[in-house]
Amino acid sequence: MRYKILSVDDSKTVRIIIKKAFKNYDCEILEASNGVEGLALATKENPDLILLDVTMPVMDGVEMLTKLKSDPALKAIPVIMLTAEGGKDNVLKIAKIGVRDYIVKPFKEDLLVQKVGRIIDLKPITDAPAKAKSIFDPATILVVEDKPAILAQIQDGLKHTPWQVQGVTTTGEAIDFTGRSPVDLMMISLSLPDDAACTLFRVLRTNLKTKYTPIFGLVVKTDTAAQQQAQQVGFTGLVTKPLDMPELESKIAKAMNLDTSERYFLCDGEMFIMKLPEACTPGVVNEVSTYLKGKVADAVNSGINKAVFDLHEVKRLDMSLIKLLLTAMQTCREVALQFTLVGGGTLVAECKGYEDTRGWQFHETIDIARQSFSKTPAAV
Amino acid sequence: MPATQDIPDAVFEETITKAVKEVFSTMLGQPAIYQAVTAPNPLDSLALDHAHVVGTVGFIGSLNGLIYLYLDVKFAEQCAANLLGMSAAEVADLGDEAVNDAIGELTNMTVGTFKNQLSDRGFPCKLTIPSILRGTNFSIEPISSATRRVYRFEIAGQPLIADLLMQPPGE
Repeated sequence: MRYKILSVDDSKTVRIIIKKAFKNYDCEILEASNGVEGLALATKENPDLILLDVTMPVMDGVEMLTKLKSDPALKAIPVIMLTAEGGKDNVLKIAKIGVRDYIVKPFKEDLLVQKVGRIIDLKPITDAPAKAKSIFDPATILVVEDKPAILAQIQDGLKHTPWQVQGVTTTGEAIDFTGRSPVDLMMISLSLPDDAACTLFRVLRTNLKTKYTPIFGLVVKTDTAAQQQAQQVGFTGLVTKPLDMPELESKIAKAMNLDTSERYFLCDGEMFIMKLPEACTPGVVNEVSTYLKGKVADAVNSGINKAVFDLHEVKRLDMSLIKLLLTAMQTCREVALQFTLVGGGTLVAECKGYEDTRGWQFHETIDIARQSFSKTPAAV
Repeated sequence: MPATQDIPDAVFEETITKAVKEVFSTMLGQPAIYQAVTAPNPLDSLALDHAHVVGTVGFIGSLNGLIYLYLDVKFAEQCAANLLGMSAAEVADLGDEAVNDAIGELTNMTVGTFKNQLSDRGFPCKLTIPSILRGTNFSIEPISSATRRVYRFEIAGQPLIADLLMQPPGE
């Protein structure tokens, strides 16, 4: 659930109608039956929008609205009045306290959804489970950095990805940019003058468009004071300078919750291929391990019965990689998936040095591996 | 501000008719057909000899009064089901409380629409919290000084009665 809408109405009927109106949208409806409950829930849950009735027992809507607008922590929450109390004088009086819109009952559910949709970015729930955004999908990354060399380094280091890296140098430009176009991730230099990074972060978190956008702080590795401050303010994470681009790419993918499995797994005709990169860092091994069983199961479910572990880019073998490959082999055996290995000279030589890998046999290319299946049921 | 006694009966009739039509059409998708004012002893002809649900909401300010909406229990259950987007069986499972709340809200909206029109004519007033009466063989008797106007409607073949009681000015 992305957005929280708080419905404050003493009528359970109205609260049910509101839930019904938004059931096809990706939002959560919170309920309170009077102003006291409404304020308590607003404080606890910090909703993105409040739908507020006027005539209620215990504390009416006008009193709740007045208290809400005088509380620094709550006053930014947009309020739509949803009430049978119309009449020009009433509406004007309440509007002066500070409301975003006013709906007089009776109301059509469509009108309610339309007015709420003007304030928060309502998204319909689709029947199919939401497909995770892939590592190969385009995304926009905004870097707020007053040092052109750092921006150039990030743009250059990520140029092989489908991500578009945009740079601005001031907080004002950053706010303008996020107002104009959606941003998937932001990086803000913590060395901007006058504590501008933290101020910008707070502004972005009060804006519904950037409320949930991952925001990294860009900071020098040795500046622990700035790092601590950013963590306290609530930055999603830190990127330290000098930049480690593979690490940054991995952090970005994780923060944007991207499905990175396509980097390592693919189905080529009747074959399932697990391809490992040259640098099999602990992070890569961990990532592949996370996807492994699910991907093998998907392949078997789709009728595939052959697998290739493509290690031709891998130059170095270590225990974590050996453990991953042994797990992959065992997983294939459990589902009767035939498998074989593809690898180059260095790796083949390294395999001779370990007890567990000494007997592994490699094919030089995937095509040769493919042909080998017709000759032997399993190559290992 | 105009004096309340200057409001002609036709204004009340027009105002309550507009309110009932707007609420039932918007919330239930059902047209309300205005039948007539019942006179001279309107409630004698209400035939409250079987179970009814009666919703009431007051308005206080430059005009003081309240409106009762009378619905047969079966019709009240149908309205609640329609309003909540549920089947009759689902509403029955929820019990009388759900029907009471739904009729209370329909009455609140009707009286709100009625009094908002009067507010815009220069008679500002506020709504009270809805309440519900349930029973068989009962009548609601106003005090003798109150002015009573009763309006009959037909909605989906079922009768709906709006009973408007107004306190005389200055009391």
